[in-house]
Amino acid sequence: MKKVARKKFRLTKKVFSIPYILFLLLFVVIPLVLILVNAFLDNGNNLTLDNFKTFFTSKSSLVVLGNSLLVGVITTALCLIIGYPVAYFLSKMSSGRILVLLYIIPMGVNFLIRTLATKAIFIALGVELGMGTVLFGMVYNYLPFMILPLHTTLSGIDKSYIEAAQDLGADKATVFLKTTLPLSLSGIFSGITMVFIPTISTYAISQLLSNGKIFLFGDSIQLSFEQGMYGVGSIMSLVMLVFVLLSNFVMNKFNRNSNAVRRSLW
Amino acid sequence: MKRFAYLIVLSLVAICVLLPVLSACNTTSGTTQSGGDRLVIYNWEDYIDTEKDEETGKRLLDEFADYYQQMTGRALSITYTTFDTNETMMTKVLKGDANVDLICPSEYAIEKLLTAGCLLNHKALKEELQPQLDKYGISLNNMSSLTPYNEITNTNWGNIEPDIMDVIKSMFGSVTAKDGNVYDMTEFMVPYMCGTLGILYNTEVVSLEELEEYGWGVLWNVQNNERLENKILMKDSVRDTYAAAIFYMYEYGLLPEKYQEYTVQQLINCTDDEMVSAAETVLTEQREHISGYEVDFGKDDMINEIVYADFAWSGDALWAIEEGGYDEETDTYQLGYFVPSVASNIWYDGWCIPTSVNNKLAAMMFIDYMCNPMSSIRNSVAIGYTSATAKAILEADEDVLAYIEDNEYDIEEYFSNEGRYPAINDTLGVMRDFGDRNDIVVNMWQRAKSGAHVDANLWYVIVAIVGAVGLCVALYFTVQALKTRPRKIK
Repeated sequence: MKKVARKKFRLTKKVFSIPYILFLLLFVVIPLVLILVNAFLDNGNNLTLDNFKTFFTSKSSLVVLGNSLLVGVITTALCLIIGYPVAYFLSKMSSGRILVLLYIIPMGVNFLIRTLATKAIFIALGVELGMGTVLFGMVYNYLPFMILPLHTTLSGIDKSYIEAAQDLGADKATVFLKTTLPLSLSGIFSGITMVFIPTISTYAISQLLSNGKIFLFGDSIQLSFEQGMYGVGSIMSLVMLVFVLLSNFVMNKFNRNSNAVRRSLW
Repeated sequence: MKRFAYLIVLSLVAICVLLPVLSACNTTSGTTQSGGDRLVIYNWEDYIDTEKDEETGKRLLDEFADYYQQMTGRALSITYTTFDTNETMMTKVLKGDANVDLICPSEYAIEKLLTAGCLLNHKALKEELQPQLDKYGISLNNMSSLTPYNEITNTNWGNIEPDIMDVIKSMFGSVTAKDGNVYDMTEFMVPYMCGTLGILYNTEVVSLEELEEYGWGVLWNVQNNERLENKILMKDSVRDTYAAAIFYMYEYGLLPEKYQEYTVQQLINCTDDEMVSAAETVLTEQREHISGYEVDFGKDDMINEIVYADFAWSGDALWAIEEGGYDEETDTYQLGYFVPSVASNIWYDGWCIPTSVNNKLAAMMFIDYMCNPMSSIRNSVAIGYTSATAKAILEADEDVLAYIEDNEYDIEEYFSNEGRYPAINDTLGVMRDFGDRNDIVVNMWQRAKSGAHVDANLWYVIVAIVGAVGLCVALYFTVQALKTRPRKIK
């Protein structure tokens, strides 16, 4: 009894993490549990597995999922192709840090406003809204998420590695392929995760930039919940979650391998 | 000293910026007084007069708050929130997430909410409130749900148009709820606005002859009007788009055999598998010809000539026609509204009190207030829809007539405009709740929107990206190889 009584509240460093833990519980853990519960309930709140059947047997939901994954892959690839050279040259320039700001500043503007502005520009230019404009909007919105981690990694690379490679007689291509690229792999992977995961779940961008004609997985989830089909909507959210976890897992795996590469460089 | 001066300047700037912001906050929450009563209204977007009245300098909601204070002696703070489709609202109300006093759904949504037991009977509410009503001397004689006698219309429907009430009574007079009881829906709702579905078109691109000849087919661009291709907007709302598909099939004889004898009324409420798949076919076909789906920006896109035809609700259409251009020389408007004579839909939105109500008295008084002739005409003129208040009552009220003239309408034209006051006949169907079949229609709608296959273009894009990257790398290496070769020869 005495021992218990002595265990008083003490202000330690741990205490400061409590607000955020509470926040996590309220807004992350509980909603996830709710989604999981809803996935197994029908409209009358009875236990059922029908929601899974409806989702996995309906061709349309799989088509939508396929479209979303493809859009995600394309967006990520384009972001990487455009982002890597930019990050590479910025990291080499002395004024690179200031120029990076130019990429970050637009991120301060809400993405909805940016997307609406993009739509207005497309309409003014007479471009027909459709898949092309959606892809443009996606790349435009997520490019900073690719450039930032890449820039951080690339500018963090010790220059002596590159100089050493040059001293040993490697030409420019070899220096890039054998030192810079392997050393920046971790940046590439975190960039890919930061772009791919949000793109497969995005919905407002596709809706706005195609007048609702391009229907992605996020739109599908939104429609299900709006129509009160909580069961199917929850299943879709779970599927999305699985993809998020999966891509995280794969990226971590690669990332660890890339660390091994870095070590093997020594 | 210098630093001190900086501080003063900075704080002055801050004050200059903050003061207007703070005072703006005060004016918007002008009706919010602590300790007073609260009323939470959940209505459609753009569905009430929000302009300040020229004489009183007050908005309609504020005027109601004043009226409430005058009658009961208590201040009222009104919270006004909006929804964009019936389905959004219904999901909230059915799940019990909407903590509101008043809602304004369409007839089929009211039926669904009624069967789910989410609405309160106005007559029962009145009985409960009777002591308070007597104390404050409030009559609530405008509300059709309480069946008070009205001298002008000579019916027991209060201020509401008898024609509208007859339709609702015959259609929804006995609704069987989930608990097995049979209810009369007219006791649970008071019609607020009504209107039709039709085509809002650009008079320069689409001619009236074209519309008369092709009807609903214009939304499928069957006439192959080059300027119209990909310049059509449809509603991003299951019920309306499904209805459009059915009207189109009805007009062009695309309905499956067994539905040939059906009336428009039966057709738009038919959710048989055969009908749903037929609708899916025509909606998928339509995807190739339209610009997209919307529920809110269609009016603006029509006025700005981004699109040339829009599947629209009558009120939005009339509003857009007035906002749009007008050529005085040729006496033509930029936009026009056309309801194909073969078939269309007529809908009625009404005020209902959900079970989540907190302030029953204010909710009832608000409905009553919305039905008085002056509020009716103010809302109707502001939003473009047809008020459900009886035409005879509006025409008999001098203030109303003066208001119409003040807003530069011709009184005779205002009441005889077919877009505003359509003749109610068999070609106009009324929507009913789909019940359990709703999910099937929604699934069809998802399929129609997403298309039958994974977009092939996406694969091409991937191939193109891989090809382009490969090409660049190959090019780089060949250039390098070419550069290094001569050296080797030396």
